[in-house]
Amino acid sequence: MRRALRSRTLVVGLGLTLLTLFGVIAGPWITPFSPTEMDFIAVLTPPDMTHWLGTDSFGRDVLSRVLSGGRVSLFISLCGVGIGAVLGVAAGMTAAWRGGMFEVALMAACDLLFAFPSFVLALFMMVVLGFGLHNIIIAVALAYLPIFARLARNLTRTLMHEPFVQAARLMGQGGGRILLREILPNIFPTLLVQASVGLAFGIVMEAGLSFLGLGVQPPMPSLGVILADGREYFTRGPWVLTMTGLVVSVALLGLNLLGDALRDLTDPRLRQAAGP
Amino acid sequence: MAASRRAAVLLLTVLAGAMVVFFAMKAAPGDPALSALGENARPELVAAFRRLHNLDLPVGEQFATWISGALRGDFGRSLTLAGGVPVGQLIAGRLPVTAFIGLYALILAGVISMIVGTVAALSRGTALDTLMTSFAVLGVSMPDFWLGYVLVFFLALNLPIFPSYGFVSPSDSLPGALLSGFLPALAIAAPMAAVFSRVLRAALLEVMHRPYVQVQRSLGLSSSFVFLHTIFRNALIPYVTIIGLQVRYLLGGVVVIERVFGIPGIGSLMVDGAFGRDYPVIQACALTFLVIVLGTNLLVDLLCARLDPKARGR
Repeated sequence: MRRALRSRTLVVGLGLTLLTLFGVIAGPWITPFSPTEMDFIAVLTPPDMTHWLGTDSFGRDVLSRVLSGGRVSLFISLCGVGIGAVLGVAAGMTAAWRGGMFEVALMAACDLLFAFPSFVLALFMMVVLGFGLHNIIIAVALAYLPIFARLARNLTRTLMHEPFVQAARLMGQGGGRILLREILPNIFPTLLVQASVGLAFGIVMEAGLSFLGLGVQPPMPSLGVILADGREYFTRGPWVLTMTGLVVSVALLGLNLLGDALRDLTDPRLRQAAGP
Repeated sequence: MAASRRAAVLLLTVLAGAMVVFFAMKAAPGDPALSALGENARPELVAAFRRLHNLDLPVGEQFATWISGALRGDFGRSLTLAGGVPVGQLIAGRLPVTAFIGLYALILAGVISMIVGTVAALSRGTALDTLMTSFAVLGVSMPDFWLGYVLVFFLALNLPIFPSYGFVSPSDSLPGALLSGFLPALAIAAPMAAVFSRVLRAALLEVMHRPYVQVQRSLGLSSSFVFLHTIFRNALIPYVTIIGLQVRYLLGGVVVIERVFGIPGIGSLMVDGAFGRDYPVIQACALTFLVIVLGTNLLVDLLCARLDPKARGR
């Protein structure tokens, strides 16, 4: 029963995630409308058979905008979490392996970054770096770096004294080679789980920053920009904000379910270690 | 001994955080004087502005002035708001509002998750459990600011008891604040409640099968006594821990929601500061959030130590 439930989570999560990816990648071929083309005859039409999610105040098709905005948001989250993960894991694994002052200093720095609310940290970075697409990626990366660094360091520490690592050491393999060839493949599944959950939070972070006007700047569509747009004329056309958010929620649901299922598959004991 | 060590670490963290906040802001491109006064400001004005905000001192001295002032609650003057109102005054006026909304959201999330988590754990494997667990996954997948709007749309417009915008300060009217803060707090609470209830469900299920619970059951103690006194109490430790960890995310939600609902708290102050590139305001807000998180962590640790008999002996 539990096993069936688990695989159902995996199936639904994977299905929704693949659907999201398909929609975002194949967006231009799915909808006949351009995300930027204005149509002043069809301004603020509610959802119908032609415009599945309605149109916005410029007569632009909301579905086309959500799909192309989703591509921008997913790109930001993917790059941000990717950069944060690569740098964080490299730093965390090195810290665990070398120990000493480097480890103490890195963990202290992580604790410090971790003590700022991640959205506040991202907001702060946007002011320091300036608004815009590239800088959100850096802000997301910085918010995730301490999470991955700490996770990788803890996981590496648990494996460092395992027999297979000792064996590699006795065979005279160097530290970098052991970390990459012996330890990384073993901790990779757990890191992947963290990344899939991180991807969802990266999307929320982009949406939040752009929603406030501090992230991606119009006319480039991103999920946050479309949501902010929908807020402007919420009372006249509530479907823009409502539908866009609904699509975002379904996409995030897919990622979260996928993360859950993968987490159960890898190691249930690590459930506590990997917060969102 | 442990307490003094802990206090020293806390103080060092705040100091390191203050340094990061200050020097990162100094590294930001652009001249704050020119961005506040305009590109074509008269040189005398720019010089006076720099003197007023200590911008003419060397950076190290600026930091020393700023940190020693900050310890006394003086964070300098705003670059944009009301002709240079003291930032400390702004923070002091807005902190109670943020504390109110944050606590309100935390209490709502606590109550919802207690019910959902307990019901799900007690009815494990049934349709009710699946329903509750699905709601929890759904809750964590909805962006809170979007949920806020949807709540306003479906609740405030149909039930006029909830105002759709604006906020009554708790110092003016507590019932008014509770009512006007309900939808924003609920929007912040929903994702939190989802995470909390999943943790509580897992913790309850884990404790239920521990040997000491079975011993108590076999001794003939009533099941409600065992549940409340033993199972629940032990399951509270991971629950309280996760609440502590999630305060960071809760505060992130507070920032966006305050802005969305027009609530005059630290979060909306920080966003306003970000738009105006008002460095003293942003620095002070970031530092305030840091102190709130560190304070909560300390509180959670103390609470866990009280809950856990094993930790108490140490």
